[in-house]
Amino acid sequence: MSTPGTTALPDGGLKNPGAGLITLDPVHTALLHGLDDLLTGLAARLAAPEVTGPPLLSVDSLARLDFFRNFPHLGVSAGRFTPEALDGLAAGEEPGGLPLTPTGYLLPSATCYGLLLSLEGRDVGEGGLRLSAAGRCFRNETHYDGLRRLWGFHMREVLYLGTKQGAVEHLESGAGFVGELADRLGLALTRATADDPFYDKGGSRARLMALDPVKHEFSAPDGTAIASVNRHRNFFGERLGIRAGSHGPAYSACVAFGVERWVHAMILAHGTPEAALDRVREAARTRPPA
Amino acid sequence: MERISDWLHEKNPGLDGPIDADEDLIEARLIDSMDFLEFIDLLEDLTGDTIDLQEVTIDDFRTLNRVRARFLDATGPAAAPAAAG
Repeated sequence: MSTPGTTALPDGGLKNPGAGLITLDPVHTALLHGLDDLLTGLAARLAAPEVTGPPLLSVDSLARLDFFRNFPHLGVSAGRFTPEALDGLAAGEEPGGLPLTPTGYLLPSATCYGLLLSLEGRDVGEGGLRLSAAGRCFRNETHYDGLRRLWGFHMREVLYLGTKQGAVEHLESGAGFVGELADRLGLALTRATADDPFYDKGGSRARLMALDPVKHEFSAPDGTAIASVNRHRNFFGERLGIRAGSHGPAYSACVAFGVERWVHAMILAHGTPEAALDRVREAARTRPPA
Repeated sequence: MERISDWLHEKNPGLDGPIDADEDLIEARLIDSMDFLEFIDLLEDLTGDTIDLQEVTIDDFRTLNRVRARFLDATGPAAAPAAAG
């Protein structure tokens, strides 16, 4: 049992360690968990089993997925201090400015990469495969903005691999779920085509995407995109040798949720974190069967 | 069409035999997104006209039949309706 004195936060609340990095207080954390729990409703509806992706991704694997051609600016690297620096650090030397050696790994920038890479060379069968996962994702940004744009954030995804038609149906299911959940939470969302944050916005991939959007986003009234539906055609299936039985290279698609952004959208819609949390709890009590 | 077919085979060495004229080149990624602008260059080279990406739709590139109708049978892209598909 805790006493009131141990549960109250000190004056000034919890400090944040730097730009784009936020420590969530108890109410915001309850919102994050409550919303994430509601978002798992899509996986339940689609019978997508929950898995846990790897915490780091190899740069060699990401290169095979054109990650660096598309998003060289986003990658947050896992580096380690050089062996020569360790004695100095242990003796109290300041770590800032000391060289880091690359480990060959990046922190994930999206949850589905780790899942896709885990299926390399596999056959997902005629009926395809769905997987659900949430993970902390990291992206270098030019600016950070509260819960709207963080250096690290939670991304929940439901991934599908299988046939071309199955991918289309997966995204239709995802879009339907987003609309229904938004209604239950009192969120007004608008759906629009969207660009991935390509480094070369005039490049071939960005130009084709402008003609044939493969990403749609659902945004709060202030423009914050809180969910997206994404189709990859058979790109990952081909690059990673993932087959869908006799259909050949698997087509894939994913539905993605930025969970901190759902927290932001709920507070925007309901005025205060407490009011937003009441609404989340009400939605959880009235959750329809999967 | 032969140069287009050759280009597609060069980009997709695993392809066996001719490409069906109604095969969806975009969705099946026979034209990979990284090669899309190179494909535009090829079409511009073949037709001698510039292609304004503001005046085309993805369906203009979707199949060999559509490419032929939109870019090769017309006197030039400007002669074809912008939303031909």
